[in-house]
Amino acid sequence: MSPKSYFAEHRRFWIGLCSVAILVSLWELVLTYVFPVDPFFFTKPSLIAVAFKEQIQTAKLWHDLAVSSQAFIWGFSLAVIVGIPVGLIMGWRRRVEYSLDPFLTALYASPLVALAPLFIIIFGVGVTGKAALVFLLAVFPFVFNTFAGVKSTDSLLINVIRSFGGREKDLYLKVILPSTLPYIVAGARIAIGRGLVGIIVGEFYAASEGIGFAISQAGDTYRLPEMFVGIIILSLIAVILTELMRKLEVTVAPWRAGDEVR
Amino acid sequence: MASFIEAQNLSLCFRPKNREPVTALTDLNVTVARGEFVSIVGPSGCGKSTFLNILLGLIKPDSGTLELNGMPIAGPSQERAMVFQEFGLLPWRTVAANIELGLELKGTPTVARAQRVTELIKLVGLNGFENHYPHELSGGMKQRVGLARALATEPQVLLMDEPFAALDAQTRDLMQTELLQIWERTKKTVLFVTHSIEEAAYLSDRVIVMTARPGRTKDVLRIELPRPRDYEMRLTAEFNEIKSRIWEVLKEELNSRAHP
Repeated sequence: MSPKSYFAEHRRFWIGLCSVAILVSLWELVLTYVFPVDPFFFTKPSLIAVAFKEQIQTAKLWHDLAVSSQAFIWGFSLAVIVGIPVGLIMGWRRRVEYSLDPFLTALYASPLVALAPLFIIIFGVGVTGKAALVFLLAVFPFVFNTFAGVKSTDSLLINVIRSFGGREKDLYLKVILPSTLPYIVAGARIAIGRGLVGIIVGEFYAASEGIGFAISQAGDTYRLPEMFVGIIILSLIAVILTELMRKLEVTVAPWRAGDEVR
Repeated sequence: MASFIEAQNLSLCFRPKNREPVTALTDLNVTVARGEFVSIVGPSGCGKSTFLNILLGLIKPDSGTLELNGMPIAGPSQERAMVFQEFGLLPWRTVAANIELGLELKGTPTVARAQRVTELIKLVGLNGFENHYPHELSGGMKQRVGLARALATEPQVLLMDEPFAALDAQTRDLMQTELLQIWERTKKTVLFVTHSIEEAAYLSDRVIVMTARPGRTKDVLRIELPRPRDYEMRLTAEFNEIKSRIWEVLKEELNSRAHP
């Protein structure tokens, strides 16, 4: 393969990379030559890079990440365990759908982070409070996407299973669940973003450790490069997890590769 | 004629919520002998597919009796299997896993299932495609999988609901001929719903023409063409004569529907 066709092939990646590089360089150049602002008030990429290098060598950063991850994993896992079955039953049982619908719609639409103070009061400042917040934010995408997946299950496939004498259990295991799986993974992608918001808000509001706390503390004490280090690490984690989910979507449903699952 | 499938005075009325009830079938009588290939033609919406679904056991008629081999049909059973127009393959399963679906639901052991799948793959000519997924197959191949899946559980009755309607004309011709070959080898009783007079005439021992909704039997025509039949037979004057006889019967129903 000639180099030209290599770039043509991966155009998306290279153009994206260039655009990031240009933005970062502009930021650096403007703050160095055009508006040399006091680094106390605003920072630039070179200073962030230095801070990044220092930070990843300290134990504190890794400790903060571990603390946040722990809360995230607990809350997210609980969202999976609760959200998927609720969505499945809601999709299959009309009465359950009608009874839960008003609550779920209201809760999904509301800015749930407003409940952060309440959750901290009930569950405390530690891992539990944050995990509860992550759960609250992440559970709805699981419920709604699972529900939508069940609703969009092809009734022909249901009839196929029935015609072979399949029971209700077979309908769930052989049709409803597999056809809903891509929707669930798409839901997980949304839930990751919301769950990360839960962590950060929880740690902004009341915490003594964790990545959100680190960002907020760095901001409060005008250590801007350090603050950006936290933000960048957080974005990286979000991007990696989200992309993993995208890959997983294609893996669990190769037959629908191409159509975008939302 | 000893009847194998016997439907007497079947009636069914759909009562959808907030809409006028629709009488799908009134006093439908159908008799099919064991091993017979019977096609059902009729205007769109005359209840042909509904009748197949009743036979399959997915829908219960409001009144009338329906017996298979002297036993009333009460629900789905693996003695009857359907080939669906839109294939109805599970997209997350390979060809082999789709074919063994019925056996799996019946609880057949894995080894026996695999063996049966191998036989069927050969029968429908899908060698080498065992591990493909439905989205990687053409329409004709998908319906071969549909047919193999229906045959897997060794049903006595094969119900086919416009199985080739979604295929292009050439694939359709090919599939018809292959279906005849498979039918001659397996000797299933086949009930075949179609819109195509040519298809009905080519495949069947008898063609049942149904009236416009509400569906009843209008006429039954015996197709006296020798078997095995081949594609060239369709070019004969005799075949054309049969087609026009079916058309004559069906025409009135299509007209009556256009001018009620």
